[in-house]
Amino acid sequence: MKIKLILNLLAKLLGMQAISMLPSLAVSIRFGDGDWLAFVQTIVIICALAVPTIVITRKAEKNLGAREGMVVVALTWILFSFFGALPFVLSGVIPDLENAVFESVSGFTTTGASVMPVLEGMPRGIMFWRSFTHWIGGMGVLVLALAVLPSITGRTSHLLRAESPGPSLSRLVPKLGETAKILYTIYGALTLVLVLLLMLGGMNVYDALIHAFGTAGTGGFSNRGLSVGGFHSPWIEGVITLFMLLFGVNFTIHYRLLHGGWREARKDEELRVYLLIAFFGIMLVTASILPHYQGNLLDAIRYGSFQVSSILSTTGYSTADFNQWPQFTRVLLVLLMFIGSSAGSTAGGIKVTRIMMLVKGARKQLRQLLQPRRVQVIKMDGKAVEDGMLSLVATFFFVYMMLLFAGTLLISLDNQFNLETNLTATLSCLSNIGPGLGAVGPMGNFSQYSVFSKMVLSLCMLAGRLEIFPMLILFSPSVWRKQA
Amino acid sequence: MRILVVGDGKVGHSLAENLAREDHDVVIIDKSSQVLQKSIDMLDVMCIKGNGANIHTLMEADPKNVDVVIAATASDEINMLCSMLARRLGAKYSIVRIRDPEYNDSLPLLQSELSIDMTINPERTTALEISRLLRYPFASNIESFAKGSVEMVEFRSCKKDPILGIPLKRLMNRKHRAMQVLYCAIERENEVIIPNGDTVIQEDDHVYVAADMVSITAFFKYLGRNAFPVRSVMLLGGGRISYYLSKMIIPLGIAVTIVEIKQDKAEALSEALPDANIICGDGTNRDSLEQEGLTKMDAFVALSDRDEENMIAGLYAAKLGVGKVIVKNARSGYQEVADMLKLDSVVSPKNITCDTILRYVRARSNSRGSSVEKIYRLLSGKAEALEFIARADAAYIGVPLRSLKMRKDTLIAVIVRNGRVIVPFGDDHIEAGDDVIAIAKGSMIVDLQEIVQA
Repeated sequence: MKIKLILNLLAKLLGMQAISMLPSLAVSIRFGDGDWLAFVQTIVIICALAVPTIVITRKAEKNLGAREGMVVVALTWILFSFFGALPFVLSGVIPDLENAVFESVSGFTTTGASVMPVLEGMPRGIMFWRSFTHWIGGMGVLVLALAVLPSITGRTSHLLRAESPGPSLSRLVPKLGETAKILYTIYGALTLVLVLLLMLGGMNVYDALIHAFGTAGTGGFSNRGLSVGGFHSPWIEGVITLFMLLFGVNFTIHYRLLHGGWREARKDEELRVYLLIAFFGIMLVTASILPHYQGNLLDAIRYGSFQVSSILSTTGYSTADFNQWPQFTRVLLVLLMFIGSSAGSTAGGIKVTRIMMLVKGARKQLRQLLQPRRVQVIKMDGKAVEDGMLSLVATFFFVYMMLLFAGTLLISLDNQFNLETNLTATLSCLSNIGPGLGAVGPMGNFSQYSVFSKMVLSLCMLAGRLEIFPMLILFSPSVWRKQA
Repeated sequence: MRILVVGDGKVGHSLAENLAREDHDVVIIDKSSQVLQKSIDMLDVMCIKGNGANIHTLMEADPKNVDVVIAATASDEINMLCSMLARRLGAKYSIVRIRDPEYNDSLPLLQSELSIDMTINPERTTALEISRLLRYPFASNIESFAKGSVEMVEFRSCKKDPILGIPLKRLMNRKHRAMQVLYCAIERENEVIIPNGDTVIQEDDHVYVAADMVSITAFFKYLGRNAFPVRSVMLLGGGRISYYLSKMIIPLGIAVTIVEIKQDKAEALSEALPDANIICGDGTNRDSLEQEGLTKMDAFVALSDRDEENMIAGLYAAKLGVGKVIVKNARSGYQEVADMLKLDSVVSPKNITCDTILRYVRARSNSRGSSVEKIYRLLSGKAEALEFIARADAAYIGVPLRSLKMRKDTLIAVIVRNGRVIVPFGDDHIEAGDDVIAIAKGSMIVDLQEIVQA
């Protein structure tokens, strides 16, 4: 393990975090809610730690192995979550560190699970930072690092692979630094369009930014207790529904749409399945909640499509308390929580590609039982999927489920909530959604969990965002053993 | 530039590595996802899995924007097909590796019919390099510049050399023919030193000197090295390099003995090379080597398919006192081991191929001015010798060298004006049309203006 190199990278990335606080600092000075000092203090603390580390480790070698890559990514996210929590504590908005860290983890991992019971009337700089963490965490800290500092280290593909969602890393252009730049350009442009559309619906710039960050990163922090529902605007809800689905699409497809047009993008198998899931999800939910809205089809479509799009894209905004909906609908939403969105998007969950591979793999095994000599090759987008990839996906699915059960078991030690609440809370954190069912439903929050449970859930969020293996590796002793 | 490399083998990978380091956009196509995985882990390149001659695979690489396509798969035919397709789909230049001697005579026709811009035959190019080493056995490596009027020669300094321990500025001052050489670069413990007047040569350094051949020969005579051309050589292994090499050196009157283990291959060689002495025997067996008169040979060239065998056989020949030993190394990882074992002349078809292709790409990537005529890489790319032709409109023309600002760790080694070789001092200047040979640490220089500024 190349400790020096890791420290050097971490320090540089932390410096980047300090810079990423500047917009929030500007907002807090602009509104004068008295929270600017918290940002200045945090930036000073970060610089005091990062600058000497960079200087001491500047002669570190540059070759990053796959192992170091994973470790750097996992540690970066942990450090970002910790230092991202400092403004909450220093401003007194969330006085205790464990709650602040939970909130910050929830922000960076674009989960959107909150421990803040009241959102209205909070200092606006802090609330801006809280949502801005979604925006950075959505596309990824290291993608950002690579977009602005392409030469941060050699062999950067290890860093991106550990951070980007989905089973494999796809490049838009040959150079990774360029790829990262293109990704952030598309991301920024889409966010900007969203901000404008929201302002067209009557939001002010500040609210529009907050909700655009939450939507773009598929996070789900709002500055209203009633979330997006608090605006009572069908236009805003419609725009956010559409954009949540858009941000759940693989960014490669957005790139192809810009270059090759619709025909290029349409070929993508994952996109078609993703859209089918969204379509049938909305149909089923709408039909099943029709009685709940006294047969008012428009209302059912409005609330149904928003909630499905929010859960599927793992955003977690809400316009209705789906906790009150019929049992069938609630179970359906929980199933959607597992799936999540496309690989290479800003969303969490298991990802549609993986589900497709698992289904195809299962079908292959079944056929094999009937015709043992049959030779079958699993294909995605017309290309053969290798067995190694399939077993990796199967392992991922298994570990995902194990973490879900382990997390549920551990937070049940609180002995406060029933299985429904605990299971959906863990699932919601693991899939980076935000709300669950029961006490953690759209109208509830996570503040009542014990400190220990909050730590477990924070780890679940981080594991979910980094797709599990980079986080698990930190706990493997062999990674830290000294060897070549 | 956007460069498409088809075939992620030894040459493909090494090319991609160098091209990506020079900031080109590199796309690799290969059929095996395992080798692609290795490339994507180590390099900043895009990889596409598939057959390079398949139109769908090629389309994925966006051929309309490809500047150079390099076809280096194991099959000559696929290489040609793939280059043809890529050119038709919009790639601007193509470089194709064609190694089968069968195609040798049809190359001009193939090139024009399939719109190939450059073909490269690694074995033939390697044979050419070996033939040069055999003519100048004192060199562990040799490269000619300015159409052959300047040679740059690498040798290893040894204890009794009279040049050790004297600062170069005092060596250069002596009015002796043997001293009219320029010391271009010194390799010491894997570091490249671009020398100045105060640099001192130590024992066991690899020294690069440049001058015309007469001065070089005089220099080595002065050092007491063997400056006589080789008259007899034994080749180990009857592969393509041996074939091409024999074709080149037999007409020069060098007696060639080839040791090949396989009967049928030996027979085929004997048919193709009636003037060579073909032995069917085990080249790693010391008795059989000695029996065939290795001790009496002027030179021994180990060209079998296995690097290890080549090194061992080479060491053995050196121990028997053979004057010139050259070994082939297919993998680059052994370069340092070979160096430790004092096997100085190591030829690597991979490196030779890469250098040739890189030179071509570098010349195409320069849109501004005096393009690189020739690139020779020292110590696997840690330094380069570059040949430029000075352009009339450049700012450095006519300015004495001492008033020019030189880039760090670079050196103007030789200026060739109308066929006359000038080892430059501060008062000399560059004129339009001069051949300028410069040495630079690191790489990525494409223009003379990057080295000297007025």
